[in-house]
Formats: sequence, structure tokens, C-alpha cells
Amino acid sequence: MSLTIARRMVGAEFLKLRKSRSTVIWSLLLAVGSVVIFFVWRQLSRHGGQPTGGTDGFWHGLELIGIFIAPLAAVLIGAEAGAGDTGSGVFRDLVVTGRSRVALFAARIPGALMLVCIVVSLSYGAMLAATFAFAGSLPNPSASDVLAGWGWALLVDGAVCVVAVGLASLTQSRPATITVLVGFELVASPLLLQTSSLGHARDALLDASVLRLSPVDLHGAPVVGETAVLAVIVMLAWMVVAAAAGAWRTHRADA
Amino acid sequence: MPAIDAEWPSGDFLEPAVVTRGLTKRFGERVAVNDVHLEVPAGSAFGFLGPNGAGKTTMIRMLLGLTSISSGSASLLGQPIPRARAKALSRVGAIVEEPSFRKHLSGRENLEIVAAVRGPEAYPRIAPALERVGLAERADDRVSRYSLGMRQRLGVARCLLADPKLLILDEPTNGLDPHGIQEFRTMVRALVQDEGRTVFLSSHLLDEVERVCDHVAIVDHGRVIVQGSIEELTGRAGQQVIVGVDAPDLAIMTLEELPAVREVLPVDGVLKVRLDGRPDAVSELAAALVYAGVAVSRLEPTRHSLEERFLEITSLQQEVAA
Repeated sequence: MSLTIARRMVGAEFLKLRKSRSTVIWSLLLAVGSVVIFFVWRQLSRHGGQPTGGTDGFWHGLELIGIFIAPLAAVLIGAEAGAGDTGSGVFRDLVVTGRSRVALFAARIPGALMLVCIVVSLSYGAMLAATFAFAGSLPNPSASDVLAGWGWALLVDGAVCVVAVGLASLTQSRPATITVLVGFELVASPLLLQTSSLGHARDALLDASVLRLSPVDLHGAPVVGETAVLAVIVMLAWMVVAAAAGAWRTHRADA
Repeated sequence: MPAIDAEWPSGDFLEPAVVTRGLTKRFGERVAVNDVHLEVPAGSAFGFLGPNGAGKTTMIRMLLGLTSISSGSASLLGQPIPRARAKALSRVGAIVEEPSFRKHLSGRENLEIVAAVRGPEAYPRIAPALERVGLAERADDRVSRYSLGMRQRLGVARCLLADPKLLILDEPTNGLDPHGIQEFRTMVRALVQDEGRTVFLSSHLLDEVERVCDHVAIVDHGRVIVQGSIEELTGRAGQQVIVGVDAPDLAIMTLEELPAVREVLPVDGVLKVRLDGRPDAVSELAAALVYAGVAVSRLEPTRHSLEERFLEITSLQQEVAA
């Protein structure tokens, strides 16, 4: 398959996603809306005139984007990318073009990542604007912090998106994928991370890698002892396993 | 939309567009398609006729690589399936069951998605394909606002992006109104007669197949019972002639003595005469009546409809089964 075809297939995936109003609106509400609401709420409820922006606001905002809310937007986008063709019945019509099913699957990942990058960047931009606007007497994050935070947010939300694309392609169900991953992200994973009796087994959690690779000390994050190299390996393993499972199902399933 | 070009070797046109040998599909114990031998002549409109549940869609899904083949072999445009599936399908357009689209996208955007998958040569075909099916003016409307007939036509436009040598259409007129059905039939005939494409049309509607197709295979319970040209199938049971005469009793006596006559039935003031298949039977009949002094006011050869032939074949099958 030529690079031109690959580029156009990725563009087609992006077209499907960016024109899906419900996916785009919900993703923006979660990723950008939550940041806006968070800073407005902090501004309204601040005690003793303490500024809500600056480095303190930056850390909190980064948590929101990297750990709590923006990953849910990545799940929505990934689930739509992974199961959208099957759900609409279009997958069969793409298969009868003769194009390899693995290629059809593979195009979903960069297509979804493009939208995730836009949504996360908008969210990050809103967070930065609030951080600087409400900094008051507090120091502002440095340029390197800003860049590192942006890169980290894209990395972790991108990883979650890839896992969602793989799982959605495996289950061929958007609702099932969203339910499982949101439940895991919001409930199961934080609980497991706090369960100290699990010891180093917790290193295998995606969120352990996310925390380990964070450019700043996140508030209230559990101590994660794994090395950065191991964290990268674990994150890659999550993405590779999910993508392989999705590709396998896309290749094998009746269309 | 240009007619098919000569990219593929010219010899391809002599080969059947679809060939299957012993094609079988099993779902556990159930055999959905059973030992099917099929040949679809290139450049023809081929009807794959059978009742609902006969195995037509399963057969098409195997041909297109949408589901695996349990045993047997198949080829499309001379390319073995599934081994050379990609090459074969690059010149095949197909609508399986009802055409599906991303409803939140426009008709044009839906075609752009398929063109992206098919390759760069498909992009310039988008506008002519939309024009060809009469959707150029509504191409930028969302598909959710399209009627079923428009979606069917958009499905055909999607097929045309491949500049197909072979179109496989599964129950294409399901849900269409009479006007839409008529339009669809005209379009299929034009695809075959004017553009030289092969159309494989699956249907449970005898009338549709008889009007549109020039070859047919009748399938039931996963088996192809009979296949051939419509002419062959409708003529195979013998010839029928309607005869109008002034003296019916004398005419019946005269005709019953002729060796070419199998049966004479007086119906609504005329005689329905069944003849054997010999070519000079009608002229023999006319000569005998004139020689006997019977005035002949009407002599009209008729042929069996495909429906009669279908019922004859299926009732024969039931007798054999019993």
C-alpha cells in the first residue's frame, strides 16, 4: 500500500470522526469544558484571596487533563474510531474494496489520534490561559514545564485513545468499550494503585506509567516506584496488546 | 462514467466473470450453500434467483471474502478467491444486503471515504458516479436525509468508483417504490448493454430477474437447481401456441393426431396447444388445420414465463424429495 493511499485512508478516518457531532461535542465538553468549570469553580470558592492560577493551578489542571477527564474524551474518540464502521455497517462495504482488513484497522489509530491531539491541545490551551490569567502573586510555570506538560498530556491521552481503538475493534461495540474503559479509568485503576499489598504488580497498570512519566509531582498521586524505562515499556505494551487484539478481530471477523 | 477499459487482458472478457466449483458453506451442522457450481458469463446480467433463506446472500458473502469458504473454490474475473481477493475486488463493485453509509456525512463524503480506501484513481470517478445515478444535486446533503431509493443509488455510485467489470447486487430493489424499481432496472440494463459490465443480481423476485437478466441460476436450499439463459430455461419445457379457429371441435380432433402436439386445451374461446420442441412444429400445425378446412383467425406462439418454469422445477424437486 502506497504512502498516498495510507495518508488518504487516515484522512478519511479523521473526516468520519470530526464530522461525528456527538463525539466531538462530548469530547470538547469533557476536555475543555471541565477545565473551564474547574478554574471558574476555584476562582469562585477560593479562600483568603489565594490566587487559583500559577504553578498550583497548572499542576491541578494537568491532573485534570492527563489523569481524570481528558482521558475520557480520548476513550470516546477511540471507541468511535474502533467500532464506528462496524456499528454503521460501513465496514462490510470497505472490506469489499479488497483493501486489507489490517490496513483498514491501522488507519483508525492515527485518524483518532489526530482528533485527540486537537481536543487535548484545546484543553491544554484553556488550562494555560487560566493558569496565567489567575496567577496573581504566584509564580507561573516555566516554558519547559509548559512544553513538557503538553507533551505528557498528548502522550497519555494518546495512549488511552489507542487502547480504546483496540478494545472497540475487539468488542465491535462502542457502548461496551466506553463502559469498560471509563469504569477502569475512574474506579478500578485508582483503587488498584492505592492497594499497597499489590506491590510491584501495580507497575503493570497504565496509570502507574502515566504518573511515573508526569513532568511534575501531581497532587495526591500515590508513590510509584517503577523506573521511567519500565513505565515507557508498560505504556507501549498496553498500546501494542490492545492494537494487536483489535487488528486480530478486524482481520478474523465476518463482515 | 466511462465504459470499462482494456486495463485487463482482453482475454478476460472471454472468461466467465464468476466461476464456482463445489462451493460450500457450513455453519456447524447447517449447510447454507451446498456444492454450488456456477458460471456467470462476462458481459451479462445474471440473475441469482431463489426464495428468501435459499443461501443467496451467503454465497455472495463468500465470493466477496466477507465470510470464509468451507470447501470448494471460487474465482472472480479469473482471480481465485480468497488468494487473489485484493486484485479481483479492485474491479468489483458490490452492494450486500442494504447499502450502509455514515449517515452524518454527505453522499459525496461517503464516496470520498471509499475512494480513499480504493486508491487515487477512484477520486476522479466520484463526480461522474454521482451524476450517473442522478444524485449530483443532492451530493452535499447528509445521507440521513436521503430516501431509501437515493441510498440505493448512492450504493451503486459507490460501486462505480471501482470502474467495475463486475457488479454484485444483493436484492437491490428491496424497499423501492415502483418508480424506483423501474429506474433501477433501466440502470442495470444500461450498465450491461451500454457499458459492457457484468451484473450479478440476487433476487427473490421472478419478475425482476426475467425483466432485467439474460442469464439465471435458480437456487433453493443452498443448491443451484438449474442455470442457463432465460431463453433456454423458458423454452426448455416446450413451446405453447394459442390458436383461434372457427370450428374448435374439428380443430381439436385434427391437432390431436399430429405427432408434434402434446396437449390441446380449449380456454376462453381459443385453443392452448402444447408442442414438443421441434422447430417446424408450428408450421406443421398451421398446415394441418388449413388442410382440414379449419379457418385460423389467430396463431400466436407463447413461451413459458420464468415463473412457470420456476414452479415447474421446484415442484419437480418436491416430488423427487417426496
